[in-house]
Amino acid sequence: MATATQLAARAVEVRKVYGTGDASVEALRGISLDLAAGEWTAIMGPSGSGKSTLLHVMAGLDTPTDGRVYIGDIDLTTLNDKQLTQLRRDRVGFVFQAYNLIPTLTAEENITLPMDIAGRDVDRSWFDQVVDTVGLRDRLRHRPTELSGGQQQRVAGARALVSKPEIVFADEPTGNLDSKSGAELLDFLRSAVDEHGQTIVMVTHDAHAAAHADRVVFLNDGNVVQEMRSPTADAILDEIKSLEA
Amino acid sequence: MLRAIAKSLLARKLRLVLTALAVVLGVALTAGSFILTDTALKSFDDLFGDVFKGTDVVVQATTAFDPGAGSNSGGGSERKPIPEDLLGKVEGVDGVAAADGVIGSSAWIVDPTTNKVIQNGGAPPIGGSWNNDVTSLQIEPGGAAPVGPDQVVIDAATAADHGLAVGQRIKIATSTDTGEYQISGIARFASSQSLLGATLALFDLPTAQKIFDRKGEFDAIYVRATDGVTAAQLAPRIASVLPSGFEAITGASAASEQQDQVNQGLGFVRTFFVIFGFVALFVGAFIIFNMFNIVVSQRTRELALFRALGASRRQIRFAVIAESVVVGVLGSLIGIGLGALLAVGLKALLALFGLKLPPTALVIELRTIILSLAVGTGVTVAAAWMPARRAARVAPVEALRDSVAPSASIRRRVIVGTIVLALGIAAILAALFGGASNPGILVGLGAMLTFLGVATLSPLFARGLAAFIGRPFRRSASGRLGDENAKRNPRRTASTASALMIGLGLVAFVSVFAASLKASATVALDEVLRADLTLSSNQFNPFSSHLAEELRSDPTYSTVSVIRSTEAQVGPTHTVTYPTGIDPATFGEVANITMLTGSLADLAQPGAVLVSNTEADGKGLSVGSPVDMTFSATGTQSLHVVGTYETNAFLGDYTVSLTTYDANVEQKLDMNVFLNVAEGTSVADAKTKLDAFLQEQYPNVQADDQAASKQKFLDSINGLLYFVLVLLLLSVIISGFGILATLWLSVFERIRELGLLRAVGMSRVQVKRMVRIEAVIVAILGAVLGIVIGIVFAWTLQQSLSDLGITELSVPIVQLVIFMLVAALIGVVAAILPARRAAKLNVLDSISYE
Repeated sequence: MATATQLAARAVEVRKVYGTGDASVEALRGISLDLAAGEWTAIMGPSGSGKSTLLHVMAGLDTPTDGRVYIGDIDLTTLNDKQLTQLRRDRVGFVFQAYNLIPTLTAEENITLPMDIAGRDVDRSWFDQVVDTVGLRDRLRHRPTELSGGQQQRVAGARALVSKPEIVFADEPTGNLDSKSGAELLDFLRSAVDEHGQTIVMVTHDAHAAAHADRVVFLNDGNVVQEMRSPTADAILDEIKSLEA
Repeated sequence: MLRAIAKSLLARKLRLVLTALAVVLGVALTAGSFILTDTALKSFDDLFGDVFKGTDVVVQATTAFDPGAGSNSGGGSERKPIPEDLLGKVEGVDGVAAADGVIGSSAWIVDPTTNKVIQNGGAPPIGGSWNNDVTSLQIEPGGAAPVGPDQVVIDAATAADHGLAVGQRIKIATSTDTGEYQISGIARFASSQSLLGATLALFDLPTAQKIFDRKGEFDAIYVRATDGVTAAQLAPRIASVLPSGFEAITGASAASEQQDQVNQGLGFVRTFFVIFGFVALFVGAFIIFNMFNIVVSQRTRELALFRALGASRRQIRFAVIAESVVVGVLGSLIGIGLGALLAVGLKALLALFGLKLPPTALVIELRTIILSLAVGTGVTVAAAWMPARRAARVAPVEALRDSVAPSASIRRRVIVGTIVLALGIAAILAALFGGASNPGILVGLGAMLTFLGVATLSPLFARGLAAFIGRPFRRSASGRLGDENAKRNPRRTASTASALMIGLGLVAFVSVFAASLKASATVALDEVLRADLTLSSNQFNPFSSHLAEELRSDPTYSTVSVIRSTEAQVGPTHTVTYPTGIDPATFGEVANITMLTGSLADLAQPGAVLVSNTEADGKGLSVGSPVDMTFSATGTQSLHVVGTYETNAFLGDYTVSLTTYDANVEQKLDMNVFLNVAEGTSVADAKTKLDAFLQEQYPNVQADDQAASKQKFLDSINGLLYFVLVLLLLSVIISGFGILATLWLSVFERIRELGLLRAVGMSRVQVKRMVRIEAVIVAILGAVLGIVIGIVFAWTLQQSLSDLGITELSVPIVQLVIFMLVAALIGVVAAILPARRAAKLNVLDSISYE
């Protein structure tokens, strides 16, 4: 298993300002955060706290106004669009809240999409392992419209993992799912961390989802305000209450 | 409601422009055709007005009919000559101030620097007499009217274009001889209107009578009235002194007679162009239909919201129709403007193919504007009709659902498509094989229905076909995604491809048909042409019969046989036909005519006529049948059929002996002279000698051996083919815009998907490639459908014309492959903008796009 001391990604005094002048909004106010490899970190906070912005900036989907962002030892702020695209393709996995899949491709094609784009061969044994873990063996030839919401999100999860990325970013992955489907997806992510040492960062507003993580980081007004290890749902809910108070 | 429409229109400016573009080019071609022909007509009207300006009354022989633009009179008139002594009678009529005997014929001026005949497109080389009294021509300062057998006056345009000046000696070929003359003056009309490419060589009256073979005769008498007497008063007074067979008409009606002839010729040109304008509009209609359909789909939620807020179905339908009216009017107006530019382009195109029109200001009639607006807007609204109905069917509840507007069921599509296709095929077959009274229109209608039917049915097989076409692209991820995108909405893909299908269908059709025509002609020429050398003038003008006479006395040639052609009318319906005149004794030696009944020799009988088998079958003629043929000069003649021959490239539907021909036709000019070289001389040697002789004596005539004759014929087909292809190009360009527009709308529809692809690592280059591949697949799909239909059309036409000698079907594979590649290229070009748009999307915004 990966050692907790190794860093998969980190943000150093990141600021993100939207707009200019009077209309400007400071979404991130000099935030710093280290993400250990092989660990599952949940980011929580009230809406407007900057949690989604932080995820986007750390994943290379958005650029910070100030500060540095690293994946491994690569400084994302020094990369151009082409290099960022390549980085997302080769070293990062994504699971979004919805519309994760290309409707014209089958489940299997969706899963292997990043590698097809890169023109890389798919590691079949790893692919089989992921597909079995996610329980989609009999659904591989189906198109997204023929899958349930839970199945769709698990396909997205499988896609995020199959290219063996250094880090997976998940943006409210259970937001559109019922509790049973949500639990399935979370179990799958948990096993990826436990069995394969996958690093995961997940933004969520659901305490039960966050409870699956190793660590919960609470954001408010664009800064880290609290942290929790080996969280439980109750402890998280208490913390949220205290933040809102 | 109207404000909501206006807002939604303005909010999507680019879509508006793209949709309007689909109408613009079609309207432009239609309007351009009218502007071009109106402009040409105006300048001819002006010219004839000028020609007859100083002439109040024209005295001439009556004719049975006025030969049209296709007659082979070579610039001369098909009227009988007037005896000289009539001039005195006319001069004696009260109210006649002056009268001139007039000679009007053909004369070819030779450019002394190039030693070639001056000929501007199809304009006639006019030769005749200089009128001293009754004329609207003026001699430019420094020159004088021609006097004596050595002098000539030429027109100012020819003098300027070829650097000719007073005092210079030039060679002039006429129908009787070729001689050298000194330019005594340069003439122009008072209004300095150009002669529209015609050349003018005028001699004094005795000289003209001599060289144009009119001793003691005139072609016409031009009369000027005394002051206070109008032309309308004078004409009947003169007519009363004329013997029968002659008439006196006002100069104005003489001018309008000529204008009518030109009008007929230009009317054909106009119809020809307008057809291509309509084809372009038809293609545009598909694109408009597609655009509105996509927009209705994309706006389903918005429409449902309108419905939920209380808008009636009628209001929704009205909104879509109103939008189409705006698009149609806008597109038509731009189209009319562009049409004026296109008219200039079409003029250049015509000039390229030998038909030169004068450089005058464009004439844009109100009729052109109204017609273009009506057609352009009508087509747009008609194309938007079904999408509008579909929009009106959107239920309010769909505002809450993530669905698209319902479209007609597959079953209905199959039924409607099959019926339309069957009707189209039936119409074509009826027109080609059923002997319909108006086959041209029926074929056009049939072709339109066939295209519509195939387009309606095409979504059924678009998926499968696209999958096949897309296979080679599937190796890369962007290729696979592009292929999947092409297949994901078969209706949209099919109707986008259908627009290209029509354009390429017609392109393939004319190419295959032209190839078949060439193949058949090659076979026919190989079988029919036996002459070693064939003489012809450029522009298919006939030439002097003296040439053949001279060659007859040359022992180099064992056979000299000529063919003449004129316009006549046949039967009680006075159907226009172009009978040929041949020498029955010698023609068989220069051409291998397959006689089905009778023989060439039978033609020597007086009043005999040979008929082609197609005409004989159509009119029910056989040996012994009477044929009433009306000639312009001599009126109706009773002939009888003595034989039938297989239709061929040389003879018209009716063939008479030269004796009969010359008795009834005024302009005894040869279309071709066929020569067989006597033994002992090689064809090449004979040709070398002949070329030198022609250059000296008959500069307007060229000699071709068998291979060159064939090549000349093939070249003329090629010329027409390229001409038509250029005109069809517009339709193909429009369908390119269609692909562009559809892709553009599709990109917006797939923004979230594009964002996702970019997020998981697709590069901008790959996104572009994906969009490009979709476009290429759609384009090739359209090309394949079009080419198949085009081949079928050509095959059908060839089958129906096999009687007329189009016996071969030839499919120019290389050409068709090139068209396919061009279609793919159109896809690539059409994809440039949408692909750039797709690649430029911001990843984060796209993912969260609603």
